[in-house]
Amino acid sequence: MPILLEVNNLSKSFKLNRNWFDRKAFTALEPISFEVQAHQTLAIVGETGSGKSTLAKLLVGAELPTTGSIKLNGQTLQPGDFKQRCQHVRMIFQDSGTTLNPSLTIGQLLNEPLLLNTKLKEEDRHCLIRETLQKVGLLAEHMNFYPHMFSGGQKQRISLARAIILQPQVIILDEALASLDPSLRSQMINLLLDLQEQMGLAYILISHNLGIVRHFSDKIMVLSKGQVMEMGETSVILKKPKHQYTKKLILNQRFQLLHK
Amino acid sequence: MNLLDIRNLSIVLKSATNPILAVDRVSLTMKEGEVRGLVGESGSGKSLLAQAIIGVLDDKWQVDADRFHWRGKDLMRLSIDERKAIISKDVAMIFQEPMACLDPTMTIGKQLTEAVDGEQLSGYFWQKNRQRKETAMTLLHKVGIKQHKICLKKYPHQLNDALCQRVMIAMALAKRPILLIADEPTTAMESTNQGQIFRLLASLNQLKNMSILLISHDLENVTHWTNTITVMYSGQFVEAGTTKHIFEQPFHPYTRALVDSSPKSNRGLPAKSRLMALPGSIPILQHLPIGCRLGPRCPRAQQECVIAPKVTNYHGHQFSCHFSLKDSY
Repeated sequence: MPILLEVNNLSKSFKLNRNWFDRKAFTALEPISFEVQAHQTLAIVGETGSGKSTLAKLLVGAELPTTGSIKLNGQTLQPGDFKQRCQHVRMIFQDSGTTLNPSLTIGQLLNEPLLLNTKLKEEDRHCLIRETLQKVGLLAEHMNFYPHMFSGGQKQRISLARAIILQPQVIILDEALASLDPSLRSQMINLLLDLQEQMGLAYILISHNLGIVRHFSDKIMVLSKGQVMEMGETSVILKKPKHQYTKKLILNQRFQLLHK
Repeated sequence: MNLLDIRNLSIVLKSATNPILAVDRVSLTMKEGEVRGLVGESGSGKSLLAQAIIGVLDDKWQVDADRFHWRGKDLMRLSIDERKAIISKDVAMIFQEPMACLDPTMTIGKQLTEAVDGEQLSGYFWQKNRQRKETAMTLLHKVGIKQHKICLKKYPHQLNDALCQRVMIAMALAKRPILLIADEPTTAMESTNQGQIFRLLASLNQLKNMSILLISHDLENVTHWTNTITVMYSGQFVEAGTTKHIFEQPFHPYTRALVDSSPKSNRGLPAKSRLMALPGSIPILQHLPIGCRLGPRCPRAQQECVIAPKVTNYHGHQFSCHFSLKDSY
């Protein structure tokens, strides 16, 4: 399978300017390199402060990297060139409800990325919005609804619709499944898996529920303090963790899962 | 004797046009020294039930119950002051949103020393003040805050969510309660620290014989720590029984779906296969289905389900369903 996303030596450090003479840098992410193929899911696990959200922000272009490059289909994604990037790399956030503009209807919300990024006519845009809503399991009538009229699970679906409407190749899920109720979560996982099969999407899943990670992902990356502890096939690493940190992480969750 | 015995508790949101039945005839019993899990998805009324137990619901809500006993005393017949005296002495609660529940105008130290029970202290007032401070410090150590000196001087907005939650737990433990109601005590924390808090609660349960009502939206988070579990859905009672029964032989289709959708029971499934999921979503309070509220989503629903089923008891395992899975095992 061809490599979809290629990351080389990506790193991020923040400058801490205490005063004019005392300048220090805080490294949030040490240089890392990895590859993601189409139809594949890369899971990123780690504690808070381990740099996984920084990595997500770098990939989506919300932060400028200190070093390194990101290649999509062999083409370098220029930092700061949002027009090119936001068509191919999309992100779903943790609190989906708060990312939807309350004063716009769902139709207007989904119209915005199309208006800014494509040259489609109004009827075509309308059709595409209709199709996308049906793809994520909503009705076409929902176009005229406002965000407050939906439940939490439906809002998550709307943000998924907003993510896939530009036919991206990579979707970043930043704890997108954590706040959902269990029965809605399994619905959402099924939906994401279906879309992956149909559209050949690559997911980058940031999560600390290892049960979901085990089920959902092909590859796993364990981050701690901005450094990659381990990377490889999910099934292999979760069965035989090599690094002490990974062992601790798994043990903590298994402790909860193990039944008396 | 049962510590807490609630039979058919209903909570109604009063309104002029149409009152909403948020919690519909839920029963809950707790024995001394028991750890009970109360599981339900959002909007299932589990937090409302907890708030009704400690009596912090305001005038908008109307609470009715056939029986509401605390250690043999009927709480419904007591005056508000008597009830407050009993509850504030014996019951403590860890609230869901730690940031919102701490006083923003006082330092953590002040709030925590205020919560320390005066009866544990002895001596003159300066000795008492010192004891208070020391107790506050040991409490912070207990919940895993090492830098107590810094933490005691801070205001709630200066700490992050996880630390606030720990402070809340410390405040709840300060009273040495007989019953601790923990409403999602570890949501803001990372998984590595969650175990620490649960271990603390479990050790208090064993050493001090403190009963715990553990409220959670996720079934699998609580299974390791509880003896018994009560499941609720959309304000209705679903199933109650020992943790083992609930997890291995659930009688109610909803519990079955919850167990099946958890990653633990799906360990046998190949990766990326579809998970079992109930269709539809949780009904909102304004449009509740009549009868069994699971009806529209239930795989086993039939015509009888428009009438709410009665609670059936089978060897101490209670469930409310017309078409239970009891015979399928």
